[in-house]
Amino acid sequence: MTLTEPAIADSEAASGAGGAAAPESSDEVAAAPSILAQPFVTSDAAEVGRLFVLTSLLLAVGTSVIGVLLSLGRTEAVAPWDLFGGFNAYFRMWTLYRMSFMLLVVMPLLLGVALAVVPSQVGAGNVAFPRAALASFWSWLIGAVIIVVSVFAGGGWGAIDGVTGNESDAMALTLLGTGMVMVALLLGAVTVATTVISLRQTGMSLLYVPPFSWSMLVAAAVWLFTLPVAVANLVVIYADLRGRPAIAFGRAESPDVWLQLDWLVEQPAVYIMAVPVLGIAVEAVGATVGARSSRPEAITVIVGLFGLLAVGGWSQDYFTAPQDLRDGLVYVAFGLAAVLPLVALAGGAAELVLRGTKTLDRLLDVRMLGAGAALKLLGAAALVGALRVIEPLDLLETTATWAVFHGVVVAGLIAGVVGLRNWSHELLIGPLSVVVGRGAVALLLGGGGLLVLSDLISGFLVDAPDLMALSLDGSAVLNVLAFVGSILVAAGAAAAALGAVSALRTPVMTEGDAT
Amino acid sequence: MRTTALPAAEATRPRTVVVGALLATGAVFMAFAALVAVYVQQRQLARATGQEWFPEGSVELGPAGMMMMTLVLSMVTVQWAVQAARDEDRPHGFIALGVTLMFGAAVINQFWFVYTDTAFAIDGGRAELLFYAVTGSFIAMLISGMAMLAVTTIRSLMGPFGRDLAHGVQAAGAYWHMCVLCYFLVWYVIFITK
Repeated sequence: MTLTEPAIADSEAASGAGGAAAPESSDEVAAAPSILAQPFVTSDAAEVGRLFVLTSLLLAVGTSVIGVLLSLGRTEAVAPWDLFGGFNAYFRMWTLYRMSFMLLVVMPLLLGVALAVVPSQVGAGNVAFPRAALASFWSWLIGAVIIVVSVFAGGGWGAIDGVTGNESDAMALTLLGTGMVMVALLLGAVTVATTVISLRQTGMSLLYVPPFSWSMLVAAAVWLFTLPVAVANLVVIYADLRGRPAIAFGRAESPDVWLQLDWLVEQPAVYIMAVPVLGIAVEAVGATVGARSSRPEAITVIVGLFGLLAVGGWSQDYFTAPQDLRDGLVYVAFGLAAVLPLVALAGGAAELVLRGTKTLDRLLDVRMLGAGAALKLLGAAALVGALRVIEPLDLLETTATWAVFHGVVVAGLIAGVVGLRNWSHELLIGPLSVVVGRGAVALLLGGGGLLVLSDLISGFLVDAPDLMALSLDGSAVLNVLAFVGSILVAAGAAAAALGAVSALRTPVMTEGDAT
Repeated sequence: MRTTALPAAEATRPRTVVVGALLATGAVFMAFAALVAVYVQQRQLARATGQEWFPEGSVELGPAGMMMMTLVLSMVTVQWAVQAARDEDRPHGFIALGVTLMFGAAVINQFWFVYTDTAFAIDGGRAELLFYAVTGSFIAMLISGMAMLAVTTIRSLMGPFGRDLAHGVQAAGAYWHMCVLCYFLVWYVIFITK
C-alpha cells in the first residue's frame, strides 16, 4: 500500500465504498435500486450528505420565513401575538425559529457537507459506518417532521399563557422529536469523527489532516460533549410532563421547558455550529488563491481552541440561579476568549491570500467572498458575545443574545453555500452557479449584518431585560432594520436552496463555472 | 526480490468499530452525567431550603450494594469474553458472554425489587421524579449493553470470532464498563449519600 492509496480498513466501509463505485457488470446495473429507492438503501455517504444538504437548505427557507414574520411583529405594523393568533402561538414560533435554525438547518447542513467531503479528504473510500450515516439522516428527518408537525399542532417547548390537554400531548411529541434530532446528529457526528480518526491514510498525522476534516472532528467532539446534556434534560422534562401533572421541570403552562434548553442557542454552546465554518473558510480561501498555509499546525490548534471554547453543557443555568453562573469568571472568560481564535484564523486566511495568486477573478470568486463573509459575521458574533459578558454593559438578557445567534447561524449558512461551490463534485451535484452563489452570499451577509447590528443596538437601548424583543419602545427604526435583515436572509436561503436544486439538474460542469 | 511484489501492508488503524463505540459511549456517559448533575443540584437546593429529599429509611442500601457487587463481577466476565474473542476461544467466549448477560438480568431484577420496596410515585415530588429518571435511564443503558452483548453472542454462534467480531466484543465490553461506572455514580449519589 502506498501513501496515495485509500486505507480502507473496515469491512463495512469497504462494502460502502463498493456501493459508491461504478457498477462493473450488466448484472450489477440490473440490481441497482431505482432513483426513488436509492435514498432509502444507499450506503454511499456522499449521497447521504447530499440529502442532508438539500433538506436542510429547504428547511432554511421555511425557518427564515418564520423569522420574517417574527421581525414583522417587531415593527409595530401588527402586534406580534395577533400575527400568530395568541401569545402561545407567538412563543411557539419564536422558539421554533431558534431551535430549527440550529438543529434542522445549520448543524445538518454542515454535517451533510462533511459526510460527502471528509472521506475523500482523509483518503477513505467511504465514511466509517455508511449505514449509520443513512440512519442518521432518516432519523433526523423523521425527528424534524415530528417537531414541525407537533409545534403547529400546539406543542413546542413550553407556553406562556396556559395550555389544553391536547397541547400538552403535542408538547411531549415536540420533546420526542427534539431528542430524535439530537441523537441523529450525534450518530452522524460519530460517523464523521470515526472516519477521521480510524480511516485516514497511513502516515497522515492528525495535526496535518485537512482543515475542514479537522474542524469536523473538533465539532463532532464538541457536539458529543454538549448535545447529550440537552438530551438528558429532555429525559427529565419528558418524564415530568408524562407524570400527570408535571411537577417542576415539564410544566406545560409555563416557559420552564424552554428555559431549560435555551442555553443551547446562547453562547458558548451556540458556537458548536460554527466550528466547521472555520475549516470551510480556510480551505475555500486556500483553494481559490491556490496556496497552502505555511503553518498548517497553527490552523489546527486555532480550530481546536475555538472548539474548546464552544463546549457549552456546563452553561445550563436553569438549575442554578442564573446570575451565579453568568457572572462567574468562567462564563466571562469563555465569552471574551472566543474572539481570539477567530482573529488568529482571519490572520491565517490573510496569509493564504498574500501567498497565493491575487487576480481579480479569484478575489471575487464565490468561495473567497463567502469565506470572507462567514468569517466577518462569525467575528462580529463573537465580538458581540464578548461585549455581552461584560457586566457593566448590561447586555446579558437582552437582544444582544440574538445578535450572537444570528451572526453564527448566518455564517453557518454562508459556509454551506461555500461548501456547495467548493465541493460540488463530492456532493454529487453540478457546480453552484456563480451568479446564484454571489447573490446568496451577498444577501446572507447583508441580512445577517443587519440582524446582528439591530439586535446589538436594541440590546443597548432597552431599559429592562427583554429577550423576546416584545418591548418596542425606542428602537422602531432598528426593528425595521431587523425586518429588512430577515427578508434578506430568507432571500439568501431561498437563493442557496434554488441554486442547489438547479445544480442537481445540471451535473455537467460548464466552462464558465469551472473558474 | 522486487519490492513491488511484496504484499500490501495492513492498515495501522483498523479498529473502526471500537473507535466508533468509544465515541458513542462517551456521548452516553455525558448524558448520564448530566442527569446525575441535575439530581445532585436539586437535592442540594432542597437541603439548602430545609426540605426533606427522601423520607427517612425509604431507600435501602443493601440491594444497591448487591447490585454494585454484581456489576463489578460482570466487569470481570465481560473482560473474560473480550480476551476469549481475541484468542478465538469460542467455548470460553460463550460462557463469559452468557454469564455477563445473566448478571445484567440479575441487576434489572434487583432494580425491580428496589422499585417495589421504595414504592415511590413518579409524580410524588422532585426527588421521586429524578430517582426514576436517573435509575430508569441507567436500566435503559444496561438493556442496550445487554443487547449489544447478545448480538455479538449470536453472531459468534454462526462461526469463528474473526477480527471484526472480536472488535465488536471489545466495543460492547467498553460500553459495559461505562455502564458499571454509571451505576457507581448511582450507587454513591442516590443510595449512599441519599
